[in-house]
Amino acid sequence: MATIRFKVNGKEKVVDTHTTKTLLDVLRDDLYLTGSKECCGKGECGSCSVMINDEVVCSCLVLVGQVEGEDIKTVEGVGTSTNMDIIQEAFIKEGATQCGYCTPGFIVAARSFLNKIEKVPTLEEIEEGIAGNICRCTGYTKIVKAIQTAAEERFSRIGAAVTQGNLQGKGD
Amino acid sequence: MMVSEIDMISPETMEECLQILNEYEQEVRLLAGGTDAVVRMKEGHWRPKLWLNIKGLRDLRFICEEKDGIHIGPLTTHTDMVQSSLLQEKADVLVHAAKEVGATQIRNMGTIGGNLGTASPAGDTIPALFVLDAVIELSSVNGIRRIPIEEFFVGPGKTVQHKSEMITNIIIRPQEENEIGIFEKLGPRKAQAISIVNVAISLKMSGDGWQCAGGKIAFGSVAPTVIRARKCEVLLTLQELNEEGISNIASLAWKEVAPISDVRASAAYRRDMSTALLERGLLRLMKRWEDR
Ligand SMILES: Cc1cc2nc3c(=O)[nH]c(=O)nc-3n(C[C@H](O)[C@H](O)[C@H](O)COP(=O)(O)OP(=O)(O)OC[C@H]3O[C@@H](n4cnc5c(N)ncnc54)[C@H](O)[C@@H]3O)c2cc1C
Ligand code: FES
Ligand code: FES
Repeated sequence: MATIRFKVNGKEKVVDTHTTKTLLDVLRDDLYLTGSKECCGKGECGSCSVMINDEVVCSCLVLVGQVEGEDIKTVEGVGTSTNMDIIQEAFIKEGATQCGYCTPGFIVAARSFLNKIEKVPTLEEIEEGIAGNICRCTGYTKIVKAIQTAAEERFSRIGAAVTQGNLQGKGD
Repeated sequence: MMVSEIDMISPETMEECLQILNEYEQEVRLLAGGTDAVVRMKEGHWRPKLWLNIKGLRDLRFICEEKDGIHIGPLTTHTDMVQSSLLQEKADVLVHAAKEVGATQIRNMGTIGGNLGTASPAGDTIPALFVLDAVIELSSVNGIRRIPIEEFFVGPGKTVQHKSEMITNIIIRPQEENEIGIFEKLGPRKAQAISIVNVAISLKMSGDGWQCAGGKIAFGSVAPTVIRARKCEVLLTLQELNEEGISNIASLAWKEVAPISDVRASAAYRRDMSTALLERGLLRLMKRWEDR
């Protein structure tokens, strides 16, 4: 057992646990953040996606002893039902979720993707951006559309902020 | 899953890390991005007594140009390589290969040191490192040795690295102005797929035409380790690389490879695909050379 300290969604956390437990298990069992889901457990489906220092990773392949001092963001940190992120609003608007099991992983991967782009992406770029996430229900069309909608929204807000000479405005 | 019997140490310096590698008597294994290690731990294949977590050794994450070549730290992620302007300019074939690894999550986690350490014949960066004459630097408490990549692998999952050693640097030859490279991969699907066959090509062109002054070709996933296609390489300079020349070279590829059949593909299919991938790669390279 060891004491491990790291940040989750902006808050300092201290957990006493085995260093070789996966980050996913610690988030779910020790910190009760059950948004991130385990599906394949092998890095193939992306349902466990979280960000570590803004980079999206599979939390099922990270051992918690490796994240001492790191900054982690889960789907709960992207947005909640009372304070939704544009990507979550877009998923609802476009009907991009069915059973919902894959959705948190897609939301995190899409948020990380949106953070890194500088213009509205092409469909191909979106597909490439979420290639690490699998959905067995939707057929992806609506997920891709939702991400495109969110991207358009993001850049139109930035555009509006620029024309008002106010870059501090809510960028996204 | 029971994990509690495996311990983890996260050394703060490389010296400390090498000390532990040297002194720890039971089975110890380095842990970098974990994309191979944790999967194999869960499957029960890799159950060391101790994980030596090197992810925090930030000094081992670098890409820089020195007198003797471009140095790449073992903790450099695939994403780091894709984004490196130095590699884009002087090692395009490695950038192409890193782009083909897994998907975003895996490229953000997986490292070049881990790709070499796993020593899979299907590891995507390895053929690219072959054609860039990579040299692997191994360090231990006793010092440093440098091994040319063609001598580094001895079989699937096996390298010449000793128990007390770790990879601390990978040195590649920067491409010259008249040099172009490409990486082609065939996997069961587009993303997140282990190669059925892959090939890296680096060519030195002479003048503006289609005459090649020399080049290297390396295949992955068609033999116990990555291999050079030496017969094909000889042909590169003996004729112009027009459609006919390229087709002649590619048709030799099946003689170079010694694949096995496994869950991903049969040996015969791999042989045919070696020819197809080499032909496609050379055609695309020549198109790029023409359009540059
Ligand atoms: C879903 C998925 C898709 C994948 N797709 C691809 C793909 O398309 N192409 C591909 O090539 N690979 C693929 N991989 C495999 C893996 O991601 C890569 O091999 C990656 O580069 C491994 O790096 P790592 O840092 O995660 O290694 P780890 O898992 O941390 O370590 C792997 C091995 O290397 C050793 N090691 C690590 N660092 C060093 C060092 N500095 N010195 C000596 N030994 C060291 C470790 O001890 C261990 O034995 C995939 C994996 C997953 C889970
Ligand atoms: S559960 Fe982690 S990638 Fe599938
Ligand atoms: S909505 Fe069911 S798996 Fe994606």
